[in-house]
Amino acid sequence: MISLRGVRLERRTREEFSDDFKSRFFALLARRARAPRRKLVLQDVDLHIAPGEKVALIGPNGAGKSSILKVICGVLEPTAGSVDVRGRVAPLLELGAGFNPELSVTDNIILYGVLLGLDRRTIVSRIDAILAFAELEEYRQYPVRALSSGMAARLGFAVATDSDADILLVDEALSVGDESFRAKSRARIDELWHEHRTVVIVSHDLALVRSMCEKAVWIDRGRIVAAGPPGEIVDRYVRAVDEAAINALLRARVDA
Amino acid sequence: MQARRRAVRERPGVVVRRTPLIDERLADVVGVLFAQSVKLRYRGSALGIVWSALSPLAMAVVYASIFGQTFARFYGGSVLLYGAAVYIGLTLIGFFIAATTECSSVLVQNGGLLNKVRIPFEAFPLATVAAHAFQLLAGSVPLMIVLSIAMNHDIGHALLLIVPLASLMMLAAGAGIFISGVGVFFRDTPHLYELATFFLWVTSPVFYPAAIVPHRLQQFLVYNPLYPILTTARDLVLTPSLPPLWLFALGLAEGALALVLGIAAFAAMRGRFMDHV
Repeated sequence: MISLRGVRLERRTREEFSDDFKSRFFALLARRARAPRRKLVLQDVDLHIAPGEKVALIGPNGAGKSSILKVICGVLEPTAGSVDVRGRVAPLLELGAGFNPELSVTDNIILYGVLLGLDRRTIVSRIDAILAFAELEEYRQYPVRALSSGMAARLGFAVATDSDADILLVDEALSVGDESFRAKSRARIDELWHEHRTVVIVSHDLALVRSMCEKAVWIDRGRIVAAGPPGEIVDRYVRAVDEAAINALLRARVDA
Repeated sequence: MQARRRAVRERPGVVVRRTPLIDERLADVVGVLFAQSVKLRYRGSALGIVWSALSPLAMAVVYASIFGQTFARFYGGSVLLYGAAVYIGLTLIGFFIAATTECSSVLVQNGGLLNKVRIPFEAFPLATVAAHAFQLLAGSVPLMIVLSIAMNHDIGHALLLIVPLASLMMLAAGAGIFISGVGVFFRDTPHLYELATFFLWVTSPVFYPAAIVPHRLQQFLVYNPLYPILTTARDLVLTPSLPPLWLFALGLAEGALALVLGIAAFAAMRGRFMDHV
């Protein structure tokens, strides 16, 4: 179960960074020191996701979709509001984000698995199954840098989807690898989908949102604009995007 | 510091409840990061460990051939004894400097990961210090034990080495945790820290006997946190008489204090890490 109530998230803006002693010192000398500006990333976010529900977050880039995932998995703590997450959360990372290229495939599976929240014993017992799924049995002792990027992605997918987390967070990238592996990864996603797991997915693939999710949440500029049945929400979102595009076009005409 | 900690921890209106991800299993995370670091360092070969013992040995030989004749009179006329003293000092201070220097950039280097998965921040400096401690224990300490037994003809001195070693490791862990946090806010921390470690290095009587330092300055050497630890370890190996009890106690107290202060400062800083990494 996931419940966000009145969540507000502020972060320091990137351009304000004077992240070293030297520039901080000179700023102080020049009396330019000022409190860092904070940017409002999320506000008044109320989101309730029941166990087993498949939910999609949609909206333009920079709307705050990934930030919501980060608040759910605990990478970011809210500035205000309450967060209640019950069950073990596994983020499905940009595949291979946790890999160390110099270590062997087996070591990387253990490392990745532990970082994803599995305990060491469990992950060690699953190494064979993971290698089999990723079709990398003969690469067991190779360093990851010896794998092609497609192979590394397959490995990442295999580890991430092998975890028995109650809540899966997916930031884009649902299928990886060549055609044959893509079919396989789709099958595993379907499998995950039909088990009683909660899935929160950030996606720009609106067809997928329509066909696979039970609920869509439209986010814009850090707020929830609308939430409900995916068909309806996606239609409204697409209409709004179209209208904005037409308006922009018209304005451009007028200006010209 | 107290006030700032409260502001971060008890931000008004924030309630967070979640099933713990991996904070409860810090040991597992430190374990895999430690294994990763050790494996990378040695690439599966035991020769790496031998090498880590040999390089300070080679440096000690260089010091002994240059300064040996001048300083031998402080070591009962023995150049060999001077060389041994340098070796012990070098490995111990080398461990401290290498471990804490690596800590100064460890969180920033893992920023990409920290932005994606919830990992207890302290796992990174702790694993770094642990990997360096492993290198010290596996590479140089055996040689120190052999030397101690050869010099004193008993094993008691060697066993007592555990006290200065434990003090040093606590000191390094505390300093490492602290500097890793500072490194998040100031990207030039590793550069400035290099300067600090140079200062630490020259003010530690490692390659020179403390007795040659002018009297007025000598009293300040005691304030170097490594001083009691280095002195205790060196005396345990090289001299038959035991170092005074207060020297053992001072080292342990320093280690414990560094650990407590490091953890407290880290706790005060951690709330703001994610805005910077």
